[in-house]
Amino acid sequence: MSQRHPSALSLERHLADPVGSPVRDHIALCARCSEQLEEMRRQGEEFLRTVYPATVEAVEAAAARRWLPSWLRVPVLAPVTAAAAAAAVLLLLSPAGDGLPPDWGGGVKGFGGVGLAVFGNGGGGARLLGDGEVVRADAALRFRVSLPSPCHLWIVSVDAQGKVSRLFPSEGDGGALAAGRVELPGGAVLDGRPGPERVLAVCTPGPLLYAPLERAVQVATAQGAGAVRALAKLPWLPEGSGQASVLLEKR
Amino acid sequence: MADGRSRAAELYREYGPAVYRRCLRLLRDPEAARDAVQEVFMKLVRDMERLEDRPSVLPWIYRVATNHCLNLRRNAARRGEEGGEAALELAEGRPEADAYPERALAQALLERFDAATQAVAVGVLVDGMEQTELAEALGISRRTVARRLERFLEESRRFLREGAR
Repeated sequence: MSQRHPSALSLERHLADPVGSPVRDHIALCARCSEQLEEMRRQGEEFLRTVYPATVEAVEAAAARRWLPSWLRVPVLAPVTAAAAAAAVLLLLSPAGDGLPPDWGGGVKGFGGVGLAVFGNGGGGARLLGDGEVVRADAALRFRVSLPSPCHLWIVSVDAQGKVSRLFPSEGDGGALAAGRVELPGGAVLDGRPGPERVLAVCTPGPLLYAPLERAVQVATAQGAGAVRALAKLPWLPEGSGQASVLLEKR
Repeated sequence: MADGRSRAAELYREYGPAVYRRCLRLLRDPEAARDAVQEVFMKLVRDMERLEDRPSVLPWIYRVATNHCLNLRRNAARRGEEGGEAALELAEGRPEADAYPERALAQALLERFDAATQAVAVGVLVDGMEQTELAEALGISRRTVARRLERFLEESRRFLREGAR
């Protein structure tokens, strides 16, 4: 047994991973270190029993205030440029509500009261596509969203290769100011490559620049096709954001 | 952001005990440690991605908590509050600690040094860390650790021999 006792940090590492601990043998033979570990465990239990319940709310609030990771934070908080402000268009206003309006008309109900409907061109005209539905790899799409209150809207899509496509708005930055039930002008044509493609509608209380949004989508789907299919909710959006997404399987 | 909040709560449950232990060790007062652990974690969650990085998270937590608690001690000592003067027990079995003439590291002595040197002295003499391990935890070179420790030991011996002037 080494005459030198492990440091406080080594003992912390041992507590976190006793199996892979390089000081495991020393501790097994050292009464002093074993006692110290017992005391550390007792202090940890004391923290969980008395300190954690009384303080966790403040920590959660601090995390919420932070609201964006460093790689997503800077551009969002920057002043909106004149060009971006000019590009922001109030599309349609309707009374705010907590959920989707009664005349929503179908589509995917997402988070924060946001709904997204994707329509594909079929033989008899536009058809509402279901989540996970198989579509032609070069299908033409249109979109409709339902938003509970005025917000800055982005529609983007991502494929298995991590390619993020900007669908709406096509110009400007910060997202288009929108509210209510909105039939989006224009549309999109799929790229013809088979595989999953997820369409996301993101609705933020303040302007969200495209670059950090694109990065957030790329990070969330970095594991490829499985991640695109599994993505239930895009993380790291500002507090008060809503979102909805529809998965399409291109064949 | 609900996701960020709940993840922060999970990470606080996982790593809060380590921060709490660190604060108890340096502040030697459960009430002060209870306040400090919350303040430290509010700093840590500003960089949540780093908290998720398991291999490097403990040294980082150690550094942030150490700096925060030493700062609290300095402030308390300057205000003449109880706790600010509490001595820190030296680690056993460390040659560097043996070279230090007292069995406890006094706040009055620590205060004579800048924050970076204080962190080195506490890391080696109180926490019993190897210089390499401490260098990694503090994000500085081992040579810097050695230099600061040498300076600390030299000046503290002189201070203890001659007394404060």
